[in-house]
Amino acid sequence: MKLWLKSAILAVTLLAFGAARLAYEATLTRDLQAAGLVAPRLQIGTRDKIGQTSSTVALGGLRTLVATFLNLRAYTAFSEQRWEDIAETFNTIVDLAPHTRYYWETGSWHLAYNAASYYINDASLPPLRRREAWRLYVLRGRAFLERGIRNNPNDWSLLANLGTLLSDPNKFPAFRDNNASFAAAAEAYRQAAATGKALDYVGRARLYSLARVAGRERESLALARSLFDASRRNHTPTLLMLLLVLEAHENPALDVARRAVELFDTPQKAYDALSSHWQRTRERFPVFGVSAGLDALEKTLSIPKENSILSRALPPPPTPDDWFHK
Amino acid sequence: MSIAPHTPLKGSHAGRIFVIATHAFTQLARMKVFYFLAIFAVLAIASNFFDLPQHEGPESVGANVLHSIKSWSLGAMTLFSVVLSIVATALLLPKDVEDRTLYTILAKPVPRFDYLAGKLLGVLLLVFVSLAFMDVLMTVVLQIRTAMVIHEQEAMALGMGYTADAVASLRAETLANGPNAALQSAVFAVFLRASIMASLALLISTFSTSTLFTTIVSFLIYFIGHFQADARDFYLHAGQAGETGLAHWAALSVSLVLPDFQLFNVIDAVIEGQAFPLLMLAKLTLIGIYYALFFTLASWFIFADKEF
Repeated sequence: MKLWLKSAILAVTLLAFGAARLAYEATLTRDLQAAGLVAPRLQIGTRDKIGQTSSTVALGGLRTLVATFLNLRAYTAFSEQRWEDIAETFNTIVDLAPHTRYYWETGSWHLAYNAASYYINDASLPPLRRREAWRLYVLRGRAFLERGIRNNPNDWSLLANLGTLLSDPNKFPAFRDNNASFAAAAEAYRQAAATGKALDYVGRARLYSLARVAGRERESLALARSLFDASRRNHTPTLLMLLLVLEAHENPALDVARRAVELFDTPQKAYDALSSHWQRTRERFPVFGVSAGLDALEKTLSIPKENSILSRALPPPPTPDDWFHK
Repeated sequence: MSIAPHTPLKGSHAGRIFVIATHAFTQLARMKVFYFLAIFAVLAIASNFFDLPQHEGPESVGANVLHSIKSWSLGAMTLFSVVLSIVATALLLPKDVEDRTLYTILAKPVPRFDYLAGKLLGVLLLVFVSLAFMDVLMTVVLQIRTAMVIHEQEAMALGMGYTADAVASLRAETLANGPNAALQSAVFAVFLRASIMASLALLISTFSTSTLFTTIVSFLIYFIGHFQADARDFYLHAGQAGETGLAHWAALSVSLVLPDFQLFNVIDAVIEGQAFPLLMLAKLTLIGIYYALFFTLASWFIFADKEF
């Protein structure tokens, strides 16, 4: 057979073979994408950032390997405190490996915790700029984590991390509306618990956030009661105290001291728990009925007025103004 | 080259293919290709040391190092298998011509298809053995490391007062990142991709004049094949963005001619802890066999009456 004829037959067969598989491949690609087995296409921006060689490697089916290398690079940037490089590197890493929880959590941790804390102590900047830089990095860490959740909506750990960030006393002053951030934290914990895979602290953490949302006390009380009834492991001092103050909010005539003794076993233990809660101003937990309960218990325990917890100065609530004075 | 007297397949197509395959395998093994397995062993062990500081509770302990072992190992497997399948196949025909072995074989009543199929199977056997060794090594390293991570997590979790249920849940999450069926399926996907590349390199080598040409063209097709899905999407959704007719036909040509290697990038998802359903593996195997068979038959079509 002549070469040209052979080549023509081969070309036609190649096209026919291609046409026969086209629909199958398109369907298979859709199936694999639906099963989460094929990652979205690499963005042009990401290809530029990782460079020609890494881009080729990533396109060759080794995206997670490139992500691993970049993670090492990010660690070097962390040890040298190059925060902007860390942010950029983690943006690239999560484009390459969008379903790896570790990268989302580590990126967010670097931004919201490490970079933000760095600016609290950065003596080279004036207080106002340090404050703004601190706030900016906390917000960036939050945004990064929220992007991770959009990519992995069923990942309980990312949701729980968001809840932790939004309800952290060292971080929530960065958010303008604390009521909204506590509500968002409670919602994140609720979603984490709804995945069915979350550890049991998540349910309690949801209550700790929800109880701090003004106007949602009734809902918080219902949650506190259901957690209290669900397991003895939930009978943590914070949960018992929140149950007490939320009951006091619902029923202002409640005998707080008596109820506290019921919950904490003895008047002394009840007094210690109420005293501790009274002084936890940093967390901004509700304190409905706590002073009345303390007053009554001090009488029961014959504590002199000069030793009263109520006469001691309360620690000031956290505010960036204090941190950036130095 | 002769078939052992006790071989029941003596004189059959299968018998001839088997003999040529084992000969090709021996020929490649003598080129000391297995030395790279030592490099792989070093990589698999070295990936254990990228355990970066943790920022969280027990649930994050060791999360990174397990990913690291898998991504280094599967990455190395992909690279080695693709390079091996292309270069080994590209070498075979020119070497047989150079050694004059080809004339001896073709002078005997050996159908050319048997010769090509035997050579290809020899390369695939080499790739399979190499991948099997790497897989065993990766699984052993991962198994040991997973056990260490679980031990560390449990110690931390118990210290923090986690319940038995919570510890069991942590254990299940960590085991999903350890050696499992999905990981073995991913290794098989790596083998499928290498098989396609070997059969494609065989096709190119039937009309190519040099090993270098076959190698370069094969690698180019390998990388361009990762854009095939983009071209196909562009073609299937043509007309939505006002693109030209030329672009439309170019996209169609790329989609029809080149293999879609993106399909085999499932290994990334497996490294990230995703399950790999058997049905998906079966579908992927089907397309892999389809490609390999077509390229082998096309090679035979070209090679059938080639003059030497």
